[in-house]
Amino acid sequence: MVKHLGIVGAGTMGAGIAHVAALAGIDVAFYDINGTLLRQALERIKTNLTREAALGTISKETAAAALERIHPHTRLVELNSSEIALEAAIEDLRIKKDLLRHVEADTKPTTILATMTSTLSITAVASATHHPEKVVGLHLIGPIQDAKLVEIVRGEHTNANTVDRCVEFSKQIGKATTIVSDSPGFLVNRVLQPYFDEPLRIAAEKVADAEQIDRIVRMIGGFAAGPFEAMDAAGLDTTLTVREALFNSFSGEPRFRPHPALKQKVAAGATGQKAGRGFYTYPEKKG
Amino acid sequence: MKTKKVKSRKKQPRPARPQDTRAVIYIIGEAANVAEYARICSVHGYNVFYHCPGSSEPAPSLESGTAKDEPRVPANASFALELTNVDLDQKRRNLEMLDRALPSTTAIVSSSVTVTATEQASWMRHKLRLVGCSALPTFADKPLIEIAPTVFSPAATVQVVQTFFRSIGKEIELVQDRIGMVFPRILCQMINEAAFALQEEIAQPQDLDQAMVVAAGFPLGPIAWAEKIGLRQVYAVLKSLHRDLGEDRTRVAPLLTQMVLSGTWWKRT
Repeated sequence: MVKHLGIVGAGTMGAGIAHVAALAGIDVAFYDINGTLLRQALERIKTNLTREAALGTISKETAAAALERIHPHTRLVELNSSEIALEAAIEDLRIKKDLLRHVEADTKPTTILATMTSTLSITAVASATHHPEKVVGLHLIGPIQDAKLVEIVRGEHTNANTVDRCVEFSKQIGKATTIVSDSPGFLVNRVLQPYFDEPLRIAAEKVADAEQIDRIVRMIGGFAAGPFEAMDAAGLDTTLTVREALFNSFSGEPRFRPHPALKQKVAAGATGQKAGRGFYTYPEKKG
Repeated sequence: MKTKKVKSRKKQPRPARPQDTRAVIYIIGEAANVAEYARICSVHGYNVFYHCPGSSEPAPSLESGTAKDEPRVPANASFALELTNVDLDQKRRNLEMLDRALPSTTAIVSSSVTVTATEQASWMRHKLRLVGCSALPTFADKPLIEIAPTVFSPAATVQVVQTFFRSIGKEIELVQDRIGMVFPRILCQMINEAAFALQEEIAQPQDLDQAMVVAAGFPLGPIAWAEKIGLRQVYAVLKSLHRDLGEDRTRVAPLLTQMVLSGTWWKRT
């Protein structure tokens, strides 16, 4: 059982992990160099926990206890007792490498160094550390509270103990796990690509339109949402970003080439539900 | 971006309508598809005769009294289904035989996921009678079917085919006549990408399936899906797509090719 977790970065991902870990009974040392960001993140966590208590999904006591388990810090050395130190900075290789090097220096020799990423090579991030065998990638698909699965990404040097500890931690926070090797897009985002790309091509070739394709995929495939509905929900800009990252990481592999129709939608600002229009149009929310 | 409506042509014979639910229907093709449609048509009151010529798969075992294996097309058949996807030479022989044996007004619906319905119609003397459909094993139980009229199909033939599929409880989506149609094309491409990922040892097959179900909300993992449909069927769709589109991005994963050629798949251990 993981008892002490360190989190580096008070953005959306960091706050989300702090939230679910604290609810799972884990003490969280929550670090960000920017004290203001840290306070804002704590406020968000407090608001979310209060909302959950109001909805009755957790008790008020549970929410209060979870909040008490999160300890904000603006000095990295305060993470020194962490069994796992989880870096949740922005998706930038240079920043992540730099952070992990400092985290390694300020934590105990047995601390596992986890990096949260959806696109970067774990092996490349680990290259900044003295002990790459302790470095592992964690990729949660979707918003952290809702995500059901963690991809645990083994870098070139990641050892079995590191992976095992992260499996244990993921289970503690109520997530299923899949162990994958360090390859662009890891597993889910990669295998999911034809679900988005092939319908774009089918529609562009006028075999069927978006509405027809969605209906066919729902009724024959049994999917909860058709591909165009799913892309609108995820955000067409996000879908395009993932696709471009895969295309570039695979050195221009034609299977991952972004479809012009997707680029055009994003260029037009039709980025899906959040923009009120994507492949479909959405009525403006009132109030 | 709706599909074009097929215009009715004047002075064309109206194909016989299988409105009588005791109508005789003849189903020919690969065993897995034939078994599914023979069962469903029987359940919906059709008098079903079927045959699986040249099929390397075992003949479908159906309850006695519901359908009968019959190599010769019954003279009173009012509708025919051709459900071959893998062996296209056999498919052509089947269609030519149906074309010879059935009255020229009898409609034929044929699986068109690995060869377009229009190309199939070009093999026949009575081209107006053919309409394509998306038939892959396991699809027959789904509540919707894709139908692809050929460039020859008059509205009357399309109407007959729609009436037939509605009579066995299906909703219909009319799509253009292209290889893979819609869902077979999407599904087989996902299976192909999963095979590339397995080939690169990114994850174990069972982990891959679990991840796609749990994280991406797939109703079934791509590997399990491929096993249910049959690898040879999936491979046939992918090869046809690659041949038709001529794009490098549609090449078949070498692992999938090897598995199909060797007749083996990985063990679930």
